[in-house]
Amino acid sequence: MSFNEPDSLIRLENVSKVFKTQAGDFSALKDINLSFEAGEFVSIMGKSGSGKSTLINMITGIDHPTSGTVYIGDARITGMKEGQLAVWRGRNLGVVFQFFQLLPTLSVLENTMLPMDLCHMYVPAERESRALDLLAMVGLKEEAEKLPAALSGGQQQIAAIARSLANDPPIIVADEPTGNLDSRTAEHILEIFASLAERGKTILIVTHDPSLAQHTRRQVLIADGELINEYVAQALPMLSYPEMLKVTKTVAQCSFEPGSTIAPDVERDSGLFLVTQGQVEVLSTGPKNTTQVLAKLQPGQHFSLLDPNEIREASLEYRAWLHGPVDVLWLSGKALKQLLSEAPKAASALRQAAFGRNLQALPIGLDSRESRLHV
Amino acid sequence: MFRPRWSKVLADLWSNKVRSLLVIASIAIGLFAVGMIASMNLILMQDMQTSYGAIHPANILINSSLFTSDLVDNIRHKPGVAQAQGESTFSLRVQTEPGAWSPIDFKAIPNIGEAGVNQLHLLSGSFPADHELVVDQYKFPDLNAKVGDMLTVELPSGKTRLIRLAGMISDQTIGATGGGGFFIAPLQAYVPLTTADWLEQPKDQMNQLMVTTQNGQNDLTHLRQVANQLTKDVENSGRTVYSSSVRSSNDHPNRVYVQAITSVLYFLGLLVVFLSAFLITNTLSALLNQQVQQIGVMKTLGATRNQIMVIYMVLIFVFGMIAFFIAVPLAAQASNLLLQYLASRINMRLLGFRYVPLAIAMQLAIALIVPQAAAFIPILRGTSVSAVEAFSGYTQSKPPARRGWLDNLLKKFKRLSRAQILSLRNTFRNKGRLALTLITLTLGGAIFISTFNVQGSLSAYISRVGKYFMADVNLAMDRDYRINEVEKALKEIPGVGHIEAWAAARGEIVMPDGKAGDSVSILGPPVDSPLVNPIMLEGRWVVPGDQNAIVLGERFRQLFPNIKIGDTLRMKVNGESDKRSFVVVGFFQLAGNASGYLAYTTFDYLSELTHMNNRSVAFRIMSDRPNLTYAEQKALGEKIYAALKDKGYSISEVDEGNSLTQKTAGGLSMLTAFLLIMASLIAIVGSIGLTGTMSMNVMERTREIGVLRAIGASDGAVLSLVIVEGVLIGFISWVFGTLLAFPISLLLNNAITMALFGAPSAFTFTPTGVVVWLVVVMVLSVLASVMPARNAARLTIREVLAYE
Repeated sequence: MSFNEPDSLIRLENVSKVFKTQAGDFSALKDINLSFEAGEFVSIMGKSGSGKSTLINMITGIDHPTSGTVYIGDARITGMKEGQLAVWRGRNLGVVFQFFQLLPTLSVLENTMLPMDLCHMYVPAERESRALDLLAMVGLKEEAEKLPAALSGGQQQIAAIARSLANDPPIIVADEPTGNLDSRTAEHILEIFASLAERGKTILIVTHDPSLAQHTRRQVLIADGELINEYVAQALPMLSYPEMLKVTKTVAQCSFEPGSTIAPDVERDSGLFLVTQGQVEVLSTGPKNTTQVLAKLQPGQHFSLLDPNEIREASLEYRAWLHGPVDVLWLSGKALKQLLSEAPKAASALRQAAFGRNLQALPIGLDSRESRLHV
Repeated sequence: MFRPRWSKVLADLWSNKVRSLLVIASIAIGLFAVGMIASMNLILMQDMQTSYGAIHPANILINSSLFTSDLVDNIRHKPGVAQAQGESTFSLRVQTEPGAWSPIDFKAIPNIGEAGVNQLHLLSGSFPADHELVVDQYKFPDLNAKVGDMLTVELPSGKTRLIRLAGMISDQTIGATGGGGFFIAPLQAYVPLTTADWLEQPKDQMNQLMVTTQNGQNDLTHLRQVANQLTKDVENSGRTVYSSSVRSSNDHPNRVYVQAITSVLYFLGLLVVFLSAFLITNTLSALLNQQVQQIGVMKTLGATRNQIMVIYMVLIFVFGMIAFFIAVPLAAQASNLLLQYLASRINMRLLGFRYVPLAIAMQLAIALIVPQAAAFIPILRGTSVSAVEAFSGYTQSKPPARRGWLDNLLKKFKRLSRAQILSLRNTFRNKGRLALTLITLTLGGAIFISTFNVQGSLSAYISRVGKYFMADVNLAMDRDYRINEVEKALKEIPGVGHIEAWAAARGEIVMPDGKAGDSVSILGPPVDSPLVNPIMLEGRWVVPGDQNAIVLGERFRQLFPNIKIGDTLRMKVNGESDKRSFVVVGFFQLAGNASGYLAYTTFDYLSELTHMNNRSVAFRIMSDRPNLTYAEQKALGEKIYAALKDKGYSISEVDEGNSLTQKTAGGLSMLTAFLLIMASLIAIVGSIGLTGTMSMNVMERTREIGVLRAIGASDGAVLSLVIVEGVLIGFISWVFGTLLAFPISLLLNNAITMALFGAPSAFTFTPTGVVVWLVVVMVLSVLASVMPARNAARLTIREVLAYE
């Protein structure tokens, strides 16, 4: 998958953000290239201070990049004037905040109607019934006339979601929407988001909680203002975010012609391969030189090659499928060894991933001898 | 259903009632002050003119030898004359309490209830029938009597009569004849002309002619022309004219006081508007500061800056309108109360309570404009906060990166506790707000202090005026007596010390075109008299050897703007037909425009001129002890009166030396009272401002207070944290206020004395105001901080730390 599909719904191109502080300049985002398709349900994850909120502030237009450009649909929101942006945002984006940010002096119903009022959406007579419909949809119709303070935190957040839907925007952006809620309520909120995603809304959720991120269909990881390669994150979840980022920066992108064998050579001695496009067939060569396709590795799956000197028996062969080229990310054996030494806590899991995890893709009942070969 | 954005306006108004009240109060106070001041001014000017004009005040007043009603009838038919009326004026004494007598001026008027000129307005009782009198309301309380009581009056022969007090009236013309004006006039009594002979006055004879003209009532040149003609007519009828004066129909005798009050009120009114604008700015910027996050939310929901600005402008409009509807009736009522207080003191009649459209229009304009103008910058700043700034909060006051001058200063005070240092630092944290609060309190304090200084200056001025009347007792005889005889009689009275005989005469100015001008009181003290200590504006006082030298009061300069030292002034003295020339050698300051035409020459010259060789009608007597009080002077006066009466002297008047200062002080006390009312208003504005500032500071530091609580700050510590800050602000404002009080006192003092006396008076700075304001501002500061401090102390840690 390319990070910048020209027809993506949301595109960030070379976006950087530098905050000037009294302690000096602070780079919150470093040359980010990222895109989201319509209907995606995405979590943006990162530790506190990693730049995830800054990233979505770029998307919502709440903040502006120091350099780079943000496109949403046909709109180039970078460079829009504040007032223009406000109206655009009101109509195209629903924003949900960690602390709900319902206006405390307005009832839940009025809060829900406010975006329609501010953006002159729907005829005034329609607004109330639409807001009530939205509240009914999220299960808050009974609370419509209450002030936010009379609701629980979860209910307030649900009301904030209803408000974000007021102008029927195609995109909903939520910054730590469950950060202030207990886990059961958080589950419920995520269910609402999931159902919205099923209805075709593009949902971007910022969170630092990996368990919540699992509910989403795509996870974007950010550390120190830089994106972690999504395949790296998927393949090596045992690494810390900075380690993942390091791997992201270390891996090289390689392409293989259809049917070509992916074998160790002088350049690619050994290490870890992450499939990013196409499929990699795992072949087993028998004593009579017969080959058998043991598995087909999809994008997001990975495998490793051993140092040619270490091959003592015929074992597995990896080959690009015949339907098209195959893209992989390659982490060199040297880099892998360094990673193992630098991340001792993650070492055994990493070793397992590097030399054994690909076997998970193989049919059950694979000879244990095979697997031993790789360890 | 309301559109949500307008619901927000209403809800914002309603949800934080304390804050809303603070904003509304700060606007309302400004509107109230302006409304009250404008209503008062407009009603004062209008009612004074209307009610004075309505009594048909005399345009021409001629004092002459006795005449009968024939002359009045004759004059009534002269060209240009609308109404003519004669009256007999004389002075007697009335018993105010057993053994105590006061001078009382009588006017005996034909058809007293239906007079065509100088009409009296009956306030209670009825117009007097024969052997009855009515008394003017101003000095009525001095009588210690009520309508229907019998009063004892002493007649010229020494006999007494009981006369029934039939009613209380108001006579707006008191003081119109000059010679000291309304405030120093004695009790004024009015009887039918038919009662005059019962009071030992010539039967059916009058000595004062009052005329209103058909037109040009406010044209002094025209009036003087008519007056000259009438004077001739009176003279041609064989009477001697002693004096004549003219006065326009809109020139109420106390107009200068109204002008003085007006000028003070405008000055203070402007300041109050200025102050409340600061207050509104302060309150609204805090309000906007608290709304920053909501502004961010609205922006995120699609609100444009203009939409948000309109929301807050509407909110402020609503604040302004609520304040307007509160302030308008309050201002009208307050102005009515003050007017009633004033009206009886400056002898004018009010035409009734009413709303003044112009005042309401001014209030409306201010309600619409000032809050919007004051809020404009805060709104602009608040709404220009970008959504990200609104959420991150990094536009709010940033903590300093380096230690500032204050910290370095505080390090030197090693005894201060951490909490005290925190208070001190907090004080200077939001410098913009501190500055606005300080400006409000400083100005308020400066004006407060200034009112005391003005009062001090006025008192100093009055006591200065007293230097012209330094004798303990002023004695006026009904006729002239040999000086050495009177002196001998006086010296026999125990307690009498220094005695001086003064010459006195009435002059009539001869205008450059030869026509008769205003009357002048000419006094001739001995040249080395220690009983006059004049304030010279220019030139010199009379010196031994002066012949026709004359020193004029400042009012002559109004009459003759180009008059200078060395010029010649021609006057007819005591109604003689010869015109005398006087050389002007100096100008002295007395009581400015409020005083009549007064001139001093030498005793010798004036005695000679009035053919009074070794004789006199006026004596100045000092006690053999210095510094007599008013009561002691009064007692000495009584003693002298009784002793001389015994010896058969015919005494016209015995006056205590301090009576003038006493009475003038009474006249000026209402000005001071006024200033104090204004100062209190300003103090209130200031304290509301301080309360607002402290509340906002506390609101902004809720989280910080929570942290302090969490690390063990007691209720007392949190309370003192806030109160110390409030008191510190109060104290700083007191220091600045004291300094600023110098120029403000000077301005205010000049404004008042220019209006009152036509000349700036000496400026005095009294410490009273400084001390009183220190106490007031400290109390206000504590009060203003207590409520926010209590709120702060009441917050629980959970509340504050959850505050987001």
